[in-house]
Amino acid sequence: MESVKIKQLLEAYFEGATSISEEKMLQDYFNNEKVADNLVQYQPIFVALKAAKEERSTMVFNLPETKPQTSKKWWYSVAAILVVAFGVGSFYFSQPSYTQEEKEALATFEKSKRAMMLLSENFNKGTERLTFVGQFERTKDKIFE
Amino acid sequence: MEKTEFLALTMPFKDKLYRLAKRILVSKDEAEDAVQEVFLKLWKGKKNIENYKNPEAFAITMTKNYCLDRLKSKQASNLKIVHSNYQTSENVEKNIEANDGVEMVFRIMETLPEQQRIVLQLRDVEQFEFSEIAQMLDSNETAVRVALSRARKTVREAMIKKYNYGIG
Repeated sequence: MESVKIKQLLEAYFEGATSISEEKMLQDYFNNEKVADNLVQYQPIFVALKAAKEERSTMVFNLPETKPQTSKKWWYSVAAILVVAFGVGSFYFSQPSYTQEEKEALATFEKSKRAMMLLSENFNKGTERLTFVGQFERTKDKIFE
Repeated sequence: MEKTEFLALTMPFKDKLYRLAKRILVSKDEAEDAVQEVFLKLWKGKKNIENYKNPEAFAITMTKNYCLDRLKSKQASNLKIVHSNYQTSENVEKNIEANDGVEMVFRIMETLPEQQRIVLQLRDVEQFEFSEIAQMLDSNETAVRVALSRARKTVREAMIKKYNYGIG
């Protein structure tokens, strides 16, 4: 490429007015072509810039293994729900279930209990009446002292 | 996001981050530490990285901020960075005449103010568009252009001096 064109590009370059493609042209010229004598002082700039891009890091970057915390919490809640469900469930199922015979027996038991209650109530009525007899006794004692 | 997925997304610009970190911090070890740190941060915030339109630009901004912070804390504690590693490509080694000058260019780049150094790195080395650089640096295109022009001119002055008077 003729040095006049390069010189123009250089002027624009130092004003910050060149495009990426124009800058690539400059870099290409100074790195790969025979540089004109009057432009030789600019050569190291573009050689250096190109060299700077070649630089690589040899370092291996390592990342810490992050165990996903959220899924663990999720398991905690599932475990809690299971425990509660088991508790409630076992309470329900531990309620005795009766066979037909046992039910009849229970019904008979209830009936006889009611009968006993009735009996006891009547007994109580009887004892209430007996208090009058007690009263009679006391008055009789007063009179016949 | 899985580890392999994350690596596939971030590894393509690993070297860009490294070169930027090294341009700012100068020391190779410091730069590698910085990139490692940035990758850890990206990995921790990997849920967000998918939301960014351009993970590369995001990572570059992170690297820049991290390195500038490092530099600040260093200056505060009065530590000077020791450096002695200029990497030159095969191309440079072949071109022995220019080699001297190339090393000088690198040395001048180190003396530039940080913002100019960053802009020069992103534009002239990594070849990002002005709009991209402005976004990465949270700046505007005009400011980027001005900083870049200043940086380039500083390098030019030094080279002209060297070639006119033969100082090297």
